[in-house]
Amino acid sequence: MLGKLIKYDLKYGVKIFGILHGILLTASILGRFLFVNKIDFNADPEIIFSSVSPFMALYVLLFTSVGLGVAALLCVRFYRNLFTDEGYLSWTLPATSVQQIWAKIISGTIWYVLNILITALSLIILVTGNNVTEAYAKIAPEMTNVLGVSLSRYSLIMLVFSLAGALSSVIMIYVCISIGQLFPGHRILGAILAYFILMVIIQVVVLGLMIIFNLFPGPYAATVVIEAEASHYMFAIFKLSGGITIVLTIVEYFIMHYILNKKLNLI
Amino acid sequence: MKPILECQGLTKKYNNFYALSNLNVTLERGQIVGLLGPNGSGKTTLIKLINGLLTPTNGHVMINSMAPGPETKKLVSYLPERSYLNDHMRVEEILSYFSDFYDDFDAGRAGIMLKDLEIDTRSRLRTLSKGTKEKVQLVLVMSRDAELYVLDEPIGGVDPAARDYILRTILTNYNENATILLSTHLITDIENVLDRVLFIQNGQLSLNTTVDEIRTNQGKSVDTLFREVFKC
Repeated sequence: MLGKLIKYDLKYGVKIFGILHGILLTASILGRFLFVNKIDFNADPEIIFSSVSPFMALYVLLFTSVGLGVAALLCVRFYRNLFTDEGYLSWTLPATSVQQIWAKIISGTIWYVLNILITALSLIILVTGNNVTEAYAKIAPEMTNVLGVSLSRYSLIMLVFSLAGALSSVIMIYVCISIGQLFPGHRILGAILAYFILMVIIQVVVLGLMIIFNLFPGPYAATVVIEAEASHYMFAIFKLSGGITIVLTIVEYFIMHYILNKKLNLI
Repeated sequence: MKPILECQGLTKKYNNFYALSNLNVTLERGQIVGLLGPNGSGKTTLIKLINGLLTPTNGHVMINSMAPGPETKKLVSYLPERSYLNDHMRVEEILSYFSDFYDDFDAGRAGIMLKDLEIDTRSRLRTLSKGTKEKVQLVLVMSRDAELYVLDEPIGGVDPAARDYILRTILTNYNENATILLSTHLITDIENVLDRVLFIQNGQLSLNTTVDEIRTNQGKSVDTLFREVFKC
Protein backbone atom coordinates (compact mmCIF):
# COMPACT_ATOMS: atom_id res chain seq x y z
CA MET A 1 0.00 0.00 0.00
CA LEU A 2 2.82 2.39 0.92
CA GLY A 3 4.53 1.74 -2.41
CA LYS A 4 1.32 2.48 -4.32
CA LEU A 5 0.78 5.73 -2.42
CA ILE A 6 4.37 6.82 -3.12
CA LYS A 7 3.96 5.90 -6.80
CA TYR A 8 0.95 8.21 -7.17
CA ASP A 9 2.58 11.01 -5.17
CA LEU A 10 5.65 10.91 -7.42
CA LYS A 11 3.51 10.64 -10.54
CA TYR A 12 1.62 13.78 -9.50
CA GLY A 13 4.73 15.98 -9.39
CA VAL A 14 6.84 14.50 -12.17
CA LYS A 15 5.76 16.95 -14.88
CA ILE A 16 6.20 20.13 -12.82
CA PHE A 17 9.48 18.87 -11.37
CA GLY A 18 10.75 17.94 -14.83
CA ILE A 19 9.89 21.35 -16.28
CA LEU A 20 11.51 23.26 -13.37
CA HIS A 21 14.72 21.26 -13.48
CA GLY A 22 14.78 21.15 -17.27
CA ILE A 23 14.83 24.96 -17.20
CA LEU A 24 17.54 24.93 -14.51
CA LEU A 25 19.83 22.53 -16.38
CA THR A 26 19.28 24.26 -19.72
CA ALA A 27 20.01 27.66 -18.17
CA SER A 28 23.19 26.28 -16.55
CA ILE A 29 24.45 24.76 -19.82
CA LEU A 30 23.68 27.97 -21.72
CA GLY A 31 25.26 30.08 -18.95
CA ARG A 32 28.40 27.96 -19.04
CA PHE A 33 28.91 28.05 -22.80
CA LEU A 34 27.54 31.49 -23.62
CA PHE A 35 28.87 33.41 -20.62
CA VAL A 36 31.17 31.73 -18.09
CA ASN A 37 33.48 30.17 -20.70
CA LYS A 38 33.98 33.62 -22.23
CA ILE A 39 35.11 35.34 -19.03
CA ASP A 40 38.74 36.42 -19.18
CA PHE A 41 40.03 36.19 -15.61
CA ASN A 42 43.20 38.05 -16.57
CA ALA A 43 41.17 41.18 -17.31
CA ASP A 44 40.73 44.12 -14.95
CA PRO A 45 38.95 42.77 -11.79
CA GLU A 46 36.46 45.65 -11.93
CA ILE A 47 35.42 44.70 -15.46
CA ILE A 48 35.06 41.03 -14.44
CA PHE A 49 33.07 42.00 -11.36
CA SER A 50 30.69 44.29 -13.27
CA SER A 51 29.83 41.55 -15.77
CA VAL A 52 29.77 38.61 -13.35
CA SER A 53 27.60 40.30 -10.65
CA PRO A 54 24.35 40.55 -12.66
CA PHE A 55 24.96 37.02 -14.01
CA MET A 56 25.38 35.66 -10.48
CA ALA A 57 22.33 37.56 -9.23
CA LEU A 58 20.27 36.10 -12.06
CA TYR A 59 21.41 32.55 -11.32
CA VAL A 60 20.93 32.91 -7.56
CA LEU A 61 17.38 34.02 -8.35
CA LEU A 62 16.92 31.05 -10.66
CA PHE A 63 18.25 28.50 -8.15
CA THR A 64 16.12 30.03 -5.37
CA SER A 65 13.01 30.04 -7.56
CA VAL A 66 13.42 26.37 -8.46
CA GLY A 67 13.96 25.51 -4.76
CA LEU A 68 10.81 27.44 -3.84
CA GLY A 69 8.99 25.74 -6.71
CA VAL A 70 9.84 22.32 -5.25
CA ALA A 71 8.72 23.45 -1.77
CA ALA A 72 5.47 24.74 -3.33
CA LEU A 73 4.98 21.41 -5.12
CA LEU A 74 5.28 19.58 -1.78
CA CYS A 75 2.91 22.02 -0.04
CA VAL A 76 0.26 21.81 -2.76
CA ARG A 77 0.38 18.02 -3.02
CA PHE A 78 0.19 17.49 0.75
CA TYR A 79 -2.55 20.09 1.28
CA ARG A 80 -4.72 19.22 -1.74
CA ASN A 81 -4.34 15.47 -1.43
CA LEU A 82 -5.14 15.29 2.28
CA PHE A 83 -7.18 18.33 3.28
CA THR A 84 -9.28 19.47 0.32
CA ASP A 85 -11.90 17.56 -1.72
CA GLU A 86 -9.22 15.09 -2.87
CA GLY A 87 -8.84 14.13 0.80
CA TYR A 88 -12.26 12.46 0.58
CA LEU A 89 -10.66 9.86 -1.66
CA SER A 90 -7.21 9.76 -0.01
CA TRP A 91 -8.63 9.15 3.45
CA THR A 92 -11.09 6.50 2.26
CA LEU A 93 -8.37 4.38 0.67
CA PRO A 94 -7.61 1.24 2.70
CA ALA A 95 -4.38 2.74 4.04
CA THR A 96 -3.41 3.70 7.59
CA SER A 97 -2.66 7.30 8.48
CA VAL A 98 0.95 6.25 9.10
CA GLN A 99 1.17 4.94 5.52
CA GLN A 100 -0.34 8.18 4.23
CA ILE A 101 2.18 10.23 6.25
CA TRP A 102 5.20 8.17 5.19
CA ALA A 103 4.14 8.16 1.54
CA LYS A 104 4.17 11.95 1.62
CA ILE A 105 7.45 12.08 3.59
CA ILE A 106 9.26 9.62 1.30
CA SER A 107 7.99 11.12 -1.95
CA GLY A 108 8.68 14.65 -0.66
CA THR A 109 12.21 13.69 0.42
CA ILE A 110 12.85 12.10 -2.99
CA TRP A 111 11.85 15.38 -4.70
CA TYR A 112 13.91 17.41 -2.24
CA VAL A 113 17.03 15.23 -2.61
CA LEU A 114 16.72 15.22 -6.40
CA ASN A 115 16.40 19.00 -6.33
CA ILE A 116 19.59 19.32 -4.26
CA LEU A 117 21.48 16.92 -6.55
CA ILE A 118 20.33 18.65 -9.75
CA THR A 119 21.12 22.06 -8.24
CA ALA A 120 24.62 20.77 -7.38
CA LEU A 121 25.00 19.39 -10.90
CA SER A 122 23.93 22.74 -12.36
CA LEU A 123 26.53 24.52 -10.22
CA ILE A 124 29.19 22.06 -11.37
CA ILE A 125 28.19 22.66 -15.00
CA LEU A 126 28.49 26.42 -14.44
CA VAL A 127 31.90 26.53 -12.74
CA THR A 128 33.97 23.70 -14.20
CA GLY A 129 35.16 25.44 -17.37
CA ASN A 130 38.95 25.52 -17.93
CA ASN A 131 39.14 29.29 -17.49
CA VAL A 132 37.40 29.07 -14.05
CA THR A 133 39.45 26.11 -12.77
CA GLU A 134 42.73 27.70 -13.96
CA ALA A 135 41.83 31.01 -12.32
CA TYR A 136 40.80 29.23 -9.13
CA ALA A 137 44.07 27.25 -9.05
CA LYS A 138 45.88 30.53 -8.42
CA ILE A 139 43.94 31.22 -5.21
CA ALA A 140 43.32 27.59 -4.19
CA PRO A 141 46.02 27.43 -1.45
CA GLU A 142 44.67 30.61 0.11
CA MET A 143 41.07 29.31 0.04
CA THR A 144 42.13 25.92 1.44
CA ASN A 145 43.88 27.76 4.24
CA VAL A 146 40.77 29.76 5.10
CA LEU A 147 38.35 26.85 4.78
CA GLY A 148 40.59 24.30 6.47
CA VAL A 149 39.85 21.80 3.70
CA SER A 150 39.96 21.98 -0.09
CA LEU A 151 37.02 23.70 -1.79
CA SER A 152 35.88 20.45 -3.42
CA ARG A 153 35.87 18.66 -0.08
CA TYR A 154 34.13 21.61 1.56
CA SER A 155 31.49 21.58 -1.20
CA LEU A 156 30.98 17.85 -0.76
CA ILE A 157 30.47 18.29 2.99
CA MET A 158 27.96 21.09 2.33
CA LEU A 159 26.15 18.81 -0.12
CA VAL A 160 25.99 15.98 2.42
CA PHE A 161 24.63 18.37 5.09
CA SER A 162 22.01 19.66 2.64
CA LEU A 163 20.96 16.11 1.76
CA ALA A 164 20.81 15.16 5.44
CA GLY A 165 18.55 18.17 6.04
CA ALA A 166 16.09 17.18 3.29
CA LEU A 167 13.96 14.94 5.51
CA SER A 168 13.63 17.58 8.24
CA SER A 169 12.74 20.28 5.69
CA VAL A 170 9.99 18.09 4.25
CA ILE A 171 8.57 17.20 7.68
CA MET A 172 8.62 20.87 8.70
CA ILE A 173 6.52 21.82 5.66
CA TYR A 174 4.04 19.03 6.42
CA VAL A 175 3.70 19.73 10.14
CA CYS A 176 2.91 23.40 9.44
CA ILE A 177 0.17 22.44 6.98
CA SER A 178 -1.17 19.85 9.46
CA ILE A 179 -1.29 22.46 12.25
CA GLY A 180 -3.08 24.82 9.83
CA GLN A 181 -5.85 22.26 9.39
CA LEU A 182 -6.74 22.64 13.07
CA PHE A 183 -8.19 26.04 12.07
CA PRO A 184 -10.95 24.98 9.64
CA GLY A 185 -11.89 28.50 8.56
CA HIS A 186 -8.30 29.64 7.99
CA ARG A 187 -6.26 26.58 7.10
CA ILE A 188 -3.68 28.28 4.88
CA LEU A 189 -3.26 31.26 7.21
CA GLY A 190 -2.92 28.81 10.11
CA ALA A 191 -0.18 26.92 8.24
CA ILE A 192 1.74 30.13 7.46
CA LEU A 193 1.45 31.29 11.07
CA ALA A 194 2.57 27.86 12.28
CA TYR A 195 5.64 28.16 10.02
CA PHE A 196 6.61 31.58 11.40
CA ILE A 197 6.01 30.57 15.01
CA LEU A 198 8.07 27.39 14.50
CA MET A 199 10.86 29.41 12.88
CA VAL A 200 10.91 31.88 15.81
CA ILE A 201 11.07 28.99 18.30
CA ILE A 202 13.94 27.37 16.35
CA GLN A 203 15.86 30.66 16.13
CA VAL A 204 15.47 31.32 19.86
CA VAL A 205 16.60 27.76 20.74
CA VAL A 206 19.57 27.94 18.32
CA LEU A 207 20.58 31.35 19.64
CA GLY A 208 20.35 30.16 23.24
CA LEU A 209 22.44 27.06 22.55
CA MET A 210 25.00 29.06 20.54
CA ILE A 211 25.49 31.33 23.52
CA ILE A 212 25.73 28.32 25.88
CA PHE A 213 28.30 26.59 23.63
CA ASN A 214 30.24 29.82 22.97
CA LEU A 215 29.43 29.76 19.28
CA PHE A 216 27.59 33.07 19.14
CA PRO A 217 29.30 35.43 16.64
CA GLY A 218 31.20 38.07 18.62
CA PRO A 219 34.72 38.77 19.79
CA TYR A 220 35.19 35.15 20.85
CA ALA A 221 33.83 33.64 17.65
CA ALA A 222 35.96 36.07 15.62
CA THR A 223 39.02 34.70 17.43
CA VAL A 224 37.82 31.17 16.65
CA VAL A 225 37.52 32.03 12.96
CA ILE A 226 41.02 33.51 12.80
CA GLU A 227 42.74 30.90 14.89
CA ALA A 228 40.96 27.72 14.00
CA GLU A 229 39.76 28.43 10.45
CA ALA A 230 36.26 29.08 9.20
CA SER A 231 35.50 25.43 8.54
CA HIS A 232 35.92 24.44 12.19
CA TYR A 233 33.50 27.13 13.25
CA MET A 234 31.10 26.09 10.49
CA PHE A 235 31.32 22.42 11.48
CA ALA A 236 30.66 23.29 15.12
CA ILE A 237 27.56 25.19 13.99
CA PHE A 238 26.53 22.27 11.75
CA LYS A 239 26.86 19.81 14.62
CA LEU A 240 24.75 22.01 16.88
CA SER A 241 22.07 22.69 14.27
CA GLY A 242 22.15 19.01 13.25
CA GLY A 243 21.40 17.94 16.82
CA ILE A 244 18.62 20.50 17.15
CA THR A 245 17.17 19.49 13.78
CA ILE A 246 17.04 15.79 14.70
CA VAL A 247 15.20 16.49 17.97
CA LEU A 248 12.88 18.99 16.29
CA THR A 249 12.10 16.69 13.36
CA ILE A 250 11.12 13.87 15.71
CA VAL A 251 8.84 16.22 17.68
CA GLU A 252 7.32 17.57 14.44
CA TYR A 253 6.69 14.05 13.15
CA PHE A 254 4.75 13.09 16.28
CA ILE A 255 2.73 16.33 16.18
CA MET A 256 1.80 15.59 12.56
CA HIS A 257 1.00 11.97 13.41
CA TYR A 258 -1.26 13.04 16.29
CA ILE A 259 -3.12 15.62 14.20
CA LEU A 260 -3.73 13.29 11.24
CA ASN A 261 -4.70 10.40 13.50
CA LYS A 262 -6.83 12.10 16.11
CA LYS A 263 -7.84 15.49 14.76
CA LEU A 264 -8.63 14.85 11.12
CA ASN A 265 -11.79 16.75 10.22
CA LEU A 266 -12.62 17.20 6.56
CA ILE A 267 -15.37 19.78 6.49
CA MET B 1 -24.16 -12.22 11.12
CA LYS B 2 -22.76 -8.97 12.51
CA PRO B 3 -24.68 -5.80 11.61
CA ILE B 4 -22.96 -3.85 8.89
CA LEU B 5 -23.32 -0.53 10.73
CA GLU B 6 -23.74 0.36 14.38
CA CYS B 7 -23.72 3.85 15.86
CA GLN B 8 -23.87 4.21 19.62
CA GLY B 9 -24.20 7.58 21.33
CA LEU B 10 -22.61 9.13 18.26
CA THR B 11 -22.06 12.83 18.78
CA LYS B 12 -20.23 15.41 16.69
CA LYS B 13 -19.90 18.96 17.93
CA TYR B 14 -18.53 21.92 15.96
CA ASN B 15 -17.71 24.72 18.41
CA ASN B 16 -21.09 25.11 20.19
CA PHE B 17 -23.19 23.43 17.51
CA TYR B 18 -24.17 19.78 17.71
CA ALA B 19 -24.22 18.38 14.15
CA LEU B 20 -25.05 14.95 15.60
CA SER B 21 -26.30 14.34 19.10
CA ASN B 22 -26.32 10.94 20.80
CA LEU B 23 -27.35 9.07 17.65
CA ASN B 24 -28.07 5.35 17.98
CA VAL B 25 -28.77 3.22 14.95
CA THR B 26 -28.04 -0.30 13.70
CA LEU B 27 -28.30 -1.39 10.07
CA GLU B 28 -28.55 -5.00 9.00
CA ARG B 29 -27.23 -6.34 5.71
CA GLY B 30 -29.05 -6.67 2.41
CA GLN B 31 -31.16 -3.54 2.27
CA ILE B 32 -31.30 -0.14 0.61
CA VAL B 33 -31.65 2.54 3.25
CA GLY B 34 -32.62 6.15 2.60
CA LEU B 35 -30.96 8.67 4.90
CA LEU B 36 -33.39 11.55 4.76
CA GLY B 37 -33.57 14.92 6.43
CA PRO B 38 -33.57 18.64 5.72
CA ASN B 39 -30.40 20.63 5.05
CA GLY B 40 -28.11 20.80 8.06
CA SER B 41 -29.81 17.88 9.81
CA GLY B 42 -26.56 15.90 10.13
CA LYS B 43 -26.75 13.45 7.20
CA THR B 44 -23.37 14.30 5.70
CA THR B 45 -21.78 14.44 9.16
CA LEU B 46 -22.98 10.89 9.83
CA ILE B 47 -21.68 9.74 6.45
CA LYS B 48 -18.28 11.35 7.06
CA LEU B 49 -18.04 9.71 10.48
CA ILE B 50 -18.78 6.31 8.91
CA ASN B 51 -15.92 6.93 6.50
CA GLY B 52 -13.45 8.14 9.12
CA LEU B 53 -13.28 11.64 7.64
CA LEU B 54 -14.37 13.19 10.93
CA THR B 55 -13.44 12.28 14.48
CA PRO B 56 -16.48 11.80 16.77
CA THR B 57 -16.76 14.09 19.79
CA ASN B 58 -18.43 11.25 21.71
CA GLY B 59 -19.74 7.75 21.09
CA HIS B 60 -18.61 5.45 18.35
CA VAL B 61 -19.42 4.13 14.91
CA MET B 62 -18.66 0.52 13.96
CA ILE B 63 -18.64 -1.08 10.52
CA ASN B 64 -18.84 -4.87 10.68
CA SER B 65 -17.91 -4.45 14.39
CA MET B 66 -14.77 -2.47 13.57
CA ALA B 67 -14.02 1.22 14.11
CA PRO B 68 -13.33 3.15 10.87
CA GLY B 69 -9.85 2.26 9.62
CA PRO B 70 -8.09 0.51 6.74
CA GLU B 71 -10.08 -2.70 7.29
CA THR B 72 -13.47 -0.97 7.17
CA LYS B 73 -12.40 1.08 4.15
CA LYS B 74 -11.98 -2.18 2.27
CA LEU B 75 -15.67 -2.87 2.97
CA VAL B 76 -17.17 0.56 2.38
CA SER B 77 -17.59 2.16 -1.03
CA TYR B 78 -18.19 5.86 -0.55
CA LEU B 79 -19.57 8.45 -2.92
CA PRO B 80 -19.20 11.95 -1.45
CA GLU B 81 -21.45 14.86 -2.40
CA ARG B 82 -18.51 16.57 -4.11
CA SER B 83 -15.94 15.80 -6.78
CA TYR B 84 -13.06 14.03 -5.02
CA LEU B 85 -11.00 13.05 -8.05
CA ASN B 86 -7.89 14.84 -9.26
CA ASP B 87 -9.08 16.92 -12.22
CA HIS B 88 -5.81 16.45 -14.10
CA MET B 89 -6.23 12.69 -14.33
CA ARG B 90 -7.72 10.87 -17.29
CA VAL B 91 -10.70 8.57 -16.67
CA GLU B 92 -8.54 5.54 -17.59
CA GLU B 93 -5.90 6.65 -15.04
CA ILE B 94 -8.59 6.83 -12.38
CA LEU B 95 -9.70 3.30 -13.28
CA SER B 96 -6.09 2.13 -12.75
CA TYR B 97 -5.98 4.06 -9.48
CA PHE B 98 -9.08 2.28 -8.17
CA SER B 99 -7.77 -1.10 -9.42
CA ASP B 100 -4.49 -0.44 -7.58
CA PHE B 101 -6.06 0.45 -4.27
CA TYR B 102 -9.27 -1.58 -4.06
CA ASP B 103 -9.04 -5.36 -4.39
CA ASP B 104 -12.81 -5.52 -4.93
CA PHE B 105 -12.82 -3.08 -7.86
CA ASP B 106 -14.13 -4.59 -11.09
CA ALA B 107 -12.50 -2.60 -13.92
CA GLY B 108 -14.46 -4.57 -16.54
CA ARG B 109 -17.78 -3.62 -15.01
CA ALA B 110 -16.69 0.04 -14.80
CA GLY B 111 -15.61 -0.04 -18.46
CA ILE B 112 -19.02 -1.34 -19.57
CA MET B 113 -20.89 1.31 -17.58
CA LEU B 114 -18.66 4.10 -18.92
CA LYS B 115 -19.29 2.84 -22.44
CA ASP B 116 -23.07 2.79 -21.81
CA LEU B 117 -22.83 6.39 -20.66
CA GLU B 118 -20.67 7.27 -23.72
CA ILE B 119 -17.84 8.58 -21.54
CA ASP B 120 -14.47 8.51 -23.28
CA THR B 121 -11.94 6.94 -20.92
CA ARG B 122 -9.13 9.00 -22.49
CA SER B 123 -10.80 12.26 -21.41
CA ARG B 124 -9.27 14.28 -18.63
CA LEU B 125 -11.74 14.95 -15.83
CA ARG B 126 -11.35 18.71 -16.08
CA THR B 127 -12.78 18.57 -19.62
CA LEU B 128 -15.96 16.82 -18.45
CA SER B 129 -19.16 18.54 -17.31
CA LYS B 130 -20.15 18.48 -13.64
CA GLY B 131 -22.86 15.90 -14.33
CA THR B 132 -20.49 13.65 -16.28
CA LYS B 133 -17.92 13.81 -13.48
CA GLU B 134 -20.64 12.71 -11.06
CA LYS B 135 -21.48 9.80 -13.33
CA VAL B 136 -17.79 8.77 -13.45
CA GLN B 137 -17.62 8.85 -9.65
CA LEU B 138 -20.79 6.80 -9.31
CA VAL B 139 -19.50 4.24 -11.83
CA LEU B 140 -16.26 3.92 -9.83
CA VAL B 141 -18.08 3.52 -6.53
CA MET B 142 -20.64 1.02 -7.87
CA SER B 143 -17.94 -1.04 -9.60
CA ARG B 144 -16.67 -2.22 -6.26
CA ASP B 145 -17.99 -5.38 -4.63
CA ALA B 146 -18.38 -3.64 -1.30
CA GLU B 147 -20.39 -4.69 1.74
CA LEU B 148 -21.63 -1.18 2.46
CA TYR B 149 -22.20 1.52 -0.15
CA VAL B 150 -22.52 5.01 1.28
CA LEU B 151 -23.86 7.39 -1.33
CA ASP B 152 -24.19 11.05 -0.44
CA GLU B 153 -26.55 12.80 -2.88
CA PRO B 154 -25.78 10.48 -5.81
CA ILE B 155 -28.41 11.94 -8.12
CA GLY B 156 -28.39 15.57 -7.04
CA GLY B 157 -26.49 17.04 -9.97
CA VAL B 158 -27.63 15.00 -12.95
CA ASP B 159 -30.55 15.25 -15.37
CA PRO B 160 -33.68 13.06 -14.88
CA ALA B 161 -32.73 10.67 -17.71
CA ALA B 162 -29.31 10.06 -16.15
CA ARG B 163 -31.01 9.65 -12.76
CA ASP B 164 -32.91 6.63 -14.10
CA TYR B 165 -29.67 5.12 -15.40
CA ILE B 166 -27.92 5.78 -12.10
CA LEU B 167 -30.71 4.19 -10.06
CA ARG B 168 -30.69 1.19 -12.39
CA THR B 169 -26.91 1.10 -12.00
CA ILE B 170 -27.22 1.08 -8.23
CA LEU B 171 -29.85 -1.63 -8.25
CA THR B 172 -28.10 -3.91 -10.70
CA ASN B 173 -24.59 -3.54 -9.36
CA TYR B 174 -24.77 -4.48 -5.76
CA ASN B 175 -24.57 -7.78 -4.07
CA GLU B 176 -27.81 -8.73 -2.34
CA ASN B 177 -26.02 -9.14 0.97
CA ALA B 178 -24.64 -5.65 0.69
CA THR B 179 -26.29 -2.59 2.18
CA ILE B 180 -26.73 0.76 0.51
CA LEU B 181 -27.06 3.88 2.64
CA LEU B 182 -28.23 6.64 0.38
CA SER B 183 -28.74 10.30 1.27
CA THR B 184 -30.87 12.50 -0.97
CA HIS B 185 -33.48 15.25 -1.13
CA LEU B 186 -35.02 13.77 -4.28
CA ILE B 187 -37.24 11.33 -2.40
CA THR B 188 -39.79 10.69 -5.15
CA ASP B 189 -37.03 9.55 -7.49
CA ILE B 190 -35.68 6.95 -5.10
CA GLU B 191 -38.72 6.01 -3.05
CA ASN B 192 -39.45 2.88 -5.05
CA VAL B 193 -36.00 1.40 -4.54
CA LEU B 194 -35.80 1.94 -0.78
CA ASP B 195 -36.38 -0.80 1.79
CA ARG B 196 -35.94 1.37 4.88
CA VAL B 197 -35.75 5.06 5.74
CA LEU B 198 -33.93 6.92 8.47
CA PHE B 199 -35.27 10.42 9.18
CA ILE B 200 -32.70 12.62 10.80
CA GLN B 201 -33.51 15.97 12.37
CA ASN B 202 -31.26 18.34 14.34
CA GLY B 203 -28.61 15.66 14.59
CA GLN B 204 -30.95 13.05 16.04
CA LEU B 205 -32.76 10.10 14.58
CA SER B 206 -36.49 10.86 14.42
CA LEU B 207 -37.63 7.79 12.48
CA ASN B 208 -36.19 4.40 11.60
CA THR B 209 -38.69 2.22 9.80
CA THR B 210 -39.31 0.21 6.65
CA VAL B 211 -40.96 1.76 3.62
CA ASP B 212 -43.64 -0.97 3.75
CA GLU B 213 -44.58 0.05 7.30
CA ILE B 214 -45.00 3.67 6.21
CA ARG B 215 -47.19 2.63 3.32
CA THR B 216 -49.33 0.06 5.14
CA ASN B 217 -49.61 1.53 8.64
CA GLN B 218 -49.74 5.20 7.72
CA GLY B 219 -51.06 4.91 4.17
CA LYS B 220 -48.61 7.49 2.92
CA SER B 221 -45.69 7.68 0.57
CA VAL B 222 -42.25 8.42 2.04
CA ASP B 223 -42.28 11.76 0.24
CA THR B 224 -45.61 12.76 1.83
CA LEU B 225 -44.48 11.70 5.29
CA PHE B 226 -41.19 13.60 4.84
CA ARG B 227 -43.09 16.77 3.90
CA GLU B 228 -45.32 16.42 6.98
CA VAL B 229 -42.52 15.66 9.44
CA PHE B 230 -40.19 18.37 8.17
CA LYS B 231 -42.81 20.99 7.39
CA CYS B 232 -41.28 24.49 7.66
